[in-house]
Amino acid sequence: MDGAMILEWVIKSIFLILVMTGGFAYVTLYERKVLARIQVRIGPNRAGPFGVLQPVADGIKLIFKEELVPAKADKLIFTLAPVLTVIPALIITAVVPWGTEVTLFGRTIKLYLADINIAVLYLMAVTSISIYGIALAGWSSNNKYATLGGLRATAQMISYELALGFAMIVPVMMAGSMSLVDIVESQKPVWFVFVQPLAFLIYFIAALAEINRSPFDMPEAEQELTAGYHTEYSGMKFALFFMAEYIKMIAISMIGSSLFLGGYRGPFVDQLPALGPLYLFIKVAIVLFVIIWIRATLPRIRYDRLMQFGWKVLFPLALLNVFVTGVVLILVGG
Amino acid sequence: MSVEKPVVSLADLCSRYEGLLVPDERQGFEGYLISPDHLISFCRSLRDDVGYDYLSSVTGVDNFPAEQMEVVYHFYRTTGGPSFNLKLQVSRHNPVVPSLVPLYPGADFQEREAWDLLGIRFEGHPDLRRIMMWEGFEGFPLRKDWREPFFEDEAKPFKSRWPDGQVIRSEDQNPYKNNVRYPNDFDPEQWTPVGDDALYKGMLNLSQNIQSEFKTDQIVVNLGPQHPSTHGVFRMVVVLEGETVLSLKPVMGYLHRNHEKIGERNTFLQNMPFTDRLDYISSMSNNFGYALAVEKLMGIRPPERAEYIRVMMAELTRFLNHIFSIGFLLNDLGAFFTPALYAIEERELILDVFEAVSGSRMMCNYFRFGGVARDLPDGVLEKIKELVNDRLPRKLEEFERYLTKNDLVRIRCEGVGVLSPEEAIALSAAGPILRASGVPYDVRRADPYSIYDRFDFDVAYGLHGDIYDRYLVRVEEMRQSLRILKQVVRDIPEGPIMSGKPQYQARVPPGEAYGRVEGPKGELGFYVVSNGKPNPWRYHVRAPSFINLTSLATMAKNQKIADVVAILGSIDIVLGEVDR
Amino acid sequence: MTPLQIVFLLVAAITLFSAVMVVSIRGMMHAALFLVLTLMGVAFMFATLGSRFFAIIQILVYIGSIAILIIFAVMLTRNIMDAEVASLNRGWWFFAPLALLIFASIVLVLSSWSAFATLRDLSSTSGENILEFGKALTDPNGFVIPFEVASVLLVAAMVGAVYIAMERRGGRG
Repeated sequence: MDGAMILEWVIKSIFLILVMTGGFAYVTLYERKVLARIQVRIGPNRAGPFGVLQPVADGIKLIFKEELVPAKADKLIFTLAPVLTVIPALIITAVVPWGTEVTLFGRTIKLYLADINIAVLYLMAVTSISIYGIALAGWSSNNKYATLGGLRATAQMISYELALGFAMIVPVMMAGSMSLVDIVESQKPVWFVFVQPLAFLIYFIAALAEINRSPFDMPEAEQELTAGYHTEYSGMKFALFFMAEYIKMIAISMIGSSLFLGGYRGPFVDQLPALGPLYLFIKVAIVLFVIIWIRATLPRIRYDRLMQFGWKVLFPLALLNVFVTGVVLILVGG
Repeated sequence: MSVEKPVVSLADLCSRYEGLLVPDERQGFEGYLISPDHLISFCRSLRDDVGYDYLSSVTGVDNFPAEQMEVVYHFYRTTGGPSFNLKLQVSRHNPVVPSLVPLYPGADFQEREAWDLLGIRFEGHPDLRRIMMWEGFEGFPLRKDWREPFFEDEAKPFKSRWPDGQVIRSEDQNPYKNNVRYPNDFDPEQWTPVGDDALYKGMLNLSQNIQSEFKTDQIVVNLGPQHPSTHGVFRMVVVLEGETVLSLKPVMGYLHRNHEKIGERNTFLQNMPFTDRLDYISSMSNNFGYALAVEKLMGIRPPERAEYIRVMMAELTRFLNHIFSIGFLLNDLGAFFTPALYAIEERELILDVFEAVSGSRMMCNYFRFGGVARDLPDGVLEKIKELVNDRLPRKLEEFERYLTKNDLVRIRCEGVGVLSPEEAIALSAAGPILRASGVPYDVRRADPYSIYDRFDFDVAYGLHGDIYDRYLVRVEEMRQSLRILKQVVRDIPEGPIMSGKPQYQARVPPGEAYGRVEGPKGELGFYVVSNGKPNPWRYHVRAPSFINLTSLATMAKNQKIADVVAILGSIDIVLGEVDR
Repeated sequence: MTPLQIVFLLVAAITLFSAVMVVSIRGMMHAALFLVLTLMGVAFMFATLGSRFFAIIQILVYIGSIAILIIFAVMLTRNIMDAEVASLNRGWWFFAPLALLIFASIVLVLSSWSAFATLRDLSSTSGENILEFGKALTDPNGFVIPFEVASVLLVAAMVGAVYIAMERRGGRG
């Protein structure tokens, strides 16, 4: 492990974090613009041309907001919770490949941070700990809405994690490897979404529930629980929750693209590896658009029905899908 | 809904109470007077034998300086027909009246309001607390001898405001805190509302006897007053077990400004713009109701063209209110503003019409006693024709296409918040709530006012009484409104828009009148008593959103917390009208 | 000492400290959070031993599932561990030496077990051992019987939990 190697890692890590946080800022703008267009509005267009400086303005506003801590809150956990929410969101994409490798300044650089052989397990582990921030935020606020929101979030995420896990196992079985690089490479002939549409659907639904996006945005169901687990948060602490939500959106789009939509693969990517990140970007943008579109279109599912759907429909379906895939793989592949 | 034939006629019942039931023979007054002792038994026969099953309005009149307080009831048959007015006269010092809640549960909030504002005690009321004012408020503000800190004069226009032709505002004379003094041992920072603890305790006790092996905690959650889905400053105190609502009590009055007291200070005409502020979504309908009541007192009728314009505005208001409420119902279901904004797009077009005719988009102040303020400007009729014949029906179809068969909407709405027809009548629910429960009662049909008897339209009604039926009833009512509007724009004649000379000071002879219209939210009634002076002696609003809230607790019981929000959305309240 | 050893000692100290805090701290939520910290320390031990797989499984199963369920349960209950309630009961003077005795004997027994000292180095075969591990779990000559017995036990526990939690309506159930 030479010094240049460590430097490369550090640069890549910083680059990844910058991309994710910058991506967060512009996903908010993207969402507001798309929502506005769907809702016969124009959307933010005051700050900068086409409103491109809107995220900056939002950020500045949030920085200058007063940070309130409720009198009977558990101060330490209350402060820790937003941080605990952001960290998993930031580190989860470390294993997602952006491309194969490019030559830059005479050095061959692999376009991924880490190609670990248990990448999919890593994804699941990081997903599972991302519940903590939300549960703790709900508990430490000492507020009924927040506690209910935190409880809902915890129950919902635990329930949908199973279906999510089983949906992620299917590409692993198809590729015969848990490494995301291998999974993407094995989609060279055909994307897994065409072979396993059900698995992709389950992944998408469960991932929406996992990141608490509409129509599964129960934990922060504005109509019942005001703002759910982050009711008591303001200023930068609130911004961190907000950031985590959008980074998670990007993350699940990236992971979904890699697992099912061929990741960085596309025409001529073998000849020109620099196209890889571009293809990934386009795929992520499309998945994000669908997520926003769903938010603009669908009413929320009621909480008990959501849990029923998770346990009685999605989970058995995911299990069955894994089973059938396994049987078919053995019959075909021998 | 089964309506048995009345066993006895009203005349028979009245003759049975010969001597106990005295016709009100004051000039301009109608109805009967009864003594408090016989109220319950009479009302029971009135409801069970004669079929007056719907208690529309309960209110009181302070006959100061006479030592007398009057309680006024308006009963209706849900099969249609005019009202039966019943009055009680009690002493002003200790006004005690038997409560009608056991017979007509819909009297609940109205009796509380009468207690709160007039100090009439209703014996046998299950929960006689203040409803608009806060616990600990001193006095009963609607009594004629009650005076507020900034009191200037009994009636407007206040002479003290123009001592030398210069306007002076009372706020300048009485700077803040001069008039408002806290008691000695009172610290506003430490104060907790006295009434609330009792309320929480009572609600927890009520729901405590539950059979369960596990001892689970029930929690009291306050939805509101600051809450995104209460449509304003409104509070629902909910006892929850898990996500299930065990009991619910609405708490209101945060926006209370004593509309009726101000209305009694105002001159008759000054109240017209003030009615706009009740249900600010549908100000034209409010104007309509008030104009009807005062016109009944004055004994005038508007000319033909004015009648048509009035109906036109009222039906446009109904359309815009319903499309707005459907949009926001979807919002309450968690659809992120898209349906609401689509609804607002149509509403804007109607508001353009309102702006053209009245000069204001929301606070229209368009109706006058005996007509409307001004004629339709050029081109507005064409615009309305275009809206009514083309744009609005098209958009309504679009709404229906996306929402009516939408699975998520149906899952959330069907079978939720059910109100049976019997409950709906007993709880005095009105408008779409009543009709969705299967009671096809529409004031426009049951007791036609203005020129509604000329038009062809159907009364929309549902069969299940759930949120989905309320939604369907609203959609159908919009379609019927368009049907009426098509007839209006076809038939509207030329002619004057005002009967008689426009006058700033309406001369209203003494008497009482109850004018009611089928507002978009339900039966909107104005009970006006005049004593011949320029100001109304009593001005009472039967606010449909307020009275419809009586049924919220029944609908919400044993529902999920998420559904309570949808149920509230389906009632379609406007806090300006609830709190008045 | 290599840097890795320093880090190991540090993490071990944190792990032990938080393990003690789990049983001694007042406030159930804090105890649960210290439990999470302890488990995290154990996961780190796995990682320093070169077993990424077990480190991640430790996080996934213990921190991501079991500990979060404990926190979930704590959130659902009232805070019953107040500061006023003593955290030691009357028999502590008897059971503390007993626990120490048991711990000492376990250390003694384990240290005299020859296989304990000759554990295979996991780091060199990190790619392969998952495959071997998976095969061993389903191999009739390997661990298939303990594996299946554990599954049956878990199913039984689940059925029992469902039975207890099932709502009884009108005396029928």
